[in-house]
Amino acid sequence: MMEALSFFSTSWMSPQLLGLTALGTFLGVYIGAIPGLSVTMAVSILISFTFSWDVNNALCLMTGIFMGGVYGGSRTAILLNIPGAPSAIATALDGYPMALKGEAGEAIGLSTVMSVIGGFVGIVVLAIAAPVVSDFALLFQPRDYLMLGVLGIMLVGSLSGNNLLKGVFAGSFGVLIGTVGLDPLTAEERFTFGVVELWNGISPIAVMIGLFGVSEALTQLHFMDKTAIKQKIDRIIPRWSDVKKYLPLSLQTSTIGVVVGALPGTGGDIAALMAYDHAKRVTKNPEVPFGEGAKEGLIAPEAANNAAVGGAFIPMLTLGIPGDAVTAVFLGALFIHGLNPGPLMLTENPQMFWFTVGNLTLANIFVLIFGLTGIKLFAKIVECPKGVLLPLILLLSVVGAYAINNSIADVWWMLGFGVIGYFMKQYDYPVGPVILGVILSRLMDESWRRSIILERESVPDFFINLLMSPLSLVLFISIMLIVVSKTTLWKQAKGRIFKSAS
Amino acid sequence: MKKSILGALVALSIVATPAFADFPQKDIQGVIQWGAGGSTDTVMRSVTPHAEKELGVDIIMTNRTGGVGAIATKYVYAKKADGYTLLMGAENPQMYKTLGLAKIDYSDFTPINILARGVPIFVANNDAPYNNMKEFTDYAKANPGKVKTGSTGKGGLSSIVLAMLDSQIKLDLIKVPYNGDGPALTALQAGTVDIMPAVLGASIEHIKAGRMKVIGLVDNKVNKLLPNTAPITETFPGLSTYLPWGPFFGVFVKKDTDQAIVDKLASAYSKASHNPEFVALMDKRGFSIMGIGGAEAVKFLESYRSVSSWIVHDAGFSKHSPEEFNIPRP
Repeated sequence: MMEALSFFSTSWMSPQLLGLTALGTFLGVYIGAIPGLSVTMAVSILISFTFSWDVNNALCLMTGIFMGGVYGGSRTAILLNIPGAPSAIATALDGYPMALKGEAGEAIGLSTVMSVIGGFVGIVVLAIAAPVVSDFALLFQPRDYLMLGVLGIMLVGSLSGNNLLKGVFAGSFGVLIGTVGLDPLTAEERFTFGVVELWNGISPIAVMIGLFGVSEALTQLHFMDKTAIKQKIDRIIPRWSDVKKYLPLSLQTSTIGVVVGALPGTGGDIAALMAYDHAKRVTKNPEVPFGEGAKEGLIAPEAANNAAVGGAFIPMLTLGIPGDAVTAVFLGALFIHGLNPGPLMLTENPQMFWFTVGNLTLANIFVLIFGLTGIKLFAKIVECPKGVLLPLILLLSVVGAYAINNSIADVWWMLGFGVIGYFMKQYDYPVGPVILGVILSRLMDESWRRSIILERESVPDFFINLLMSPLSLVLFISIMLIVVSKTTLWKQAKGRIFKSAS
Repeated sequence: MKKSILGALVALSIVATPAFADFPQKDIQGVIQWGAGGSTDTVMRSVTPHAEKELGVDIIMTNRTGGVGAIATKYVYAKKADGYTLLMGAENPQMYKTLGLAKIDYSDFTPINILARGVPIFVANNDAPYNNMKEFTDYAKANPGKVKTGSTGKGGLSSIVLAMLDSQIKLDLIKVPYNGDGPALTALQAGTVDIMPAVLGASIEHIKAGRMKVIGLVDNKVNKLLPNTAPITETFPGLSTYLPWGPFFGVFVKKDTDQAIVDKLASAYSKASHNPEFVALMDKRGFSIMGIGGAEAVKFLESYRSVSSWIVHDAGFSKHSPEEFNIPRP
């Protein structure tokens, strides 16, 4: 116990490690905020940069960037409607409307506190239940990933506003975009027309920046003469009563975040979207409707995506299996530094576990500090005259799209989707379902085909095995419940039962 | 007008200076075929800092993923043959022609160094009712269509090893595709698949921890990391024409790069590949250090291409016959 405590506090005691964690978190917040500059990329550049460093120093810097980066994605999502990373898409849905109402300061403050709470939930689960959770994560079979995808795609309903048909259309469009490229299972070309640049598919990040950032900038051109909304910046640290009120919701969505983050096939982006859907379902009477600046819609994804950080470390530290793209790079870094990442790492280097937990905790505290400072300055961005702000958004979008893969093709895709997004908004088509479709397309495509190959192409066998596995059964029942609870038949029945009861 | 004169002068000065006299004069770009955190990425990022020291300039590495490495390969091929753009890749391009993925392969590049080679093995879920290749093939014969094997797509390591096995004994297996050996090995631990061929380096830690077991060693001699596993040639002597065979990692420049530049780079990477730190890392991971360049590397590449191309052609999943490209039969 004492030993664990001393490993835990390694990075707290050493001024050098403390400083590096702080630096990493600070850099992470800003790298995360710029769309296209991803945490994965930053961490892999750091591998070469920190090659000759001591392993602890390198890990402190990298953990800081990870924690800060996941949080940072919310900044631009709230202020400019450009999510800094796919895990911040759900944040933009209600965060940006808040900024439009002059509540950017409050939105950032609230998202910071909830991110930190989510981060702590992730760390606590990592610290006390890592082996249990990683064994649980391994139980997920391809059919279970398929059902997670189906649970996710039902979000189209939440994201469609008042026209479901248009939402379904937009979602299907997204799924179609997601199928472009080499078939993940057979490497056959799909919709590539023989162009090599399309083999890798259309980058979801390019689609995201275009549909959110550029289309927003284009739409704003209609309102050039409108003066910018004055941002209220007197209250940045959220009210204690607010935190207390939303705590149950953030704990629930943090749990979603940890589990989805710990699954080797899914990460913070899917966790955040599922959390948003969950918030929408459990919140009966939001003060402000969802999509128009509901605080619940901001809190849920922010807590979930930071909880997913701790979650992603669970299979990585216990089994040497990465929980997401960033922890995959971490594994590479550990290897280069001479630690043998794998299921034996904790036996060979027991200090690693508590060192990482301590480090994540520290980074999470720095997120709180760096998140709550400088908000006043940031909120001012939204107050900039349109003539300055719009070119800035376009510049940021182009740089971000290029940075994804150092490829000019991504910039064209991004601009193209910007124009499509503009017309979609003009004709009242929601853009959210498109990006949802792109993200989930591959997960569903792969999982469905993999599970049906496993059953030798027999659909009856697929359903028999689905009903035989407790985990699959639970997931299947929850899908069914969500579907049935939305039917008119169910609502009528429910109405009748309540009537007879009263 | 002024600009074009200036441009011409600049161009002239570039042409006029003997570009290779004191190479390198600026930073070098390294283009990695595979994503961050993967084995190619890890190998390149752990060897290159040692080469940087020799060359005295930075080598800036970027990951250009996609199309089983074809995007990076075509990118470097489209650049000037001046030694300032290195291709850092794995074995995949050697199959591009036969599988119809691209019209170029490593014969259009000059190898700087083939750093290391991996050894393929068969790993199985701990609950699988077989412990060696003989028991496995007997079991699969007795239970056709029951054994599930993980695969990493056509032309990937697992497909080629299974095709080798297929040349010796016909088995009816369910092949479940994954995007890379990482996810497939996870599925093996989860019991989704029963057995799969994988590179030793990717599975060694899981084997040591007892989370999966070794069934066979796809090599013609015993490996020191797996002293108790018999080489597959003891069960299937017919495989010795193909072995040793295995995925590799190498650094390349475009063909027709000046020999002085190639020599300079080759000497830097050769020293780097024998750096004790790098050797220790590779050893621990079960990669055999090669560190070869020049004619020796070309010969190795040719042999890899001929074995793999003909195997996939005979197994029936090639798009073009290796004959079309004058690839000799092994």
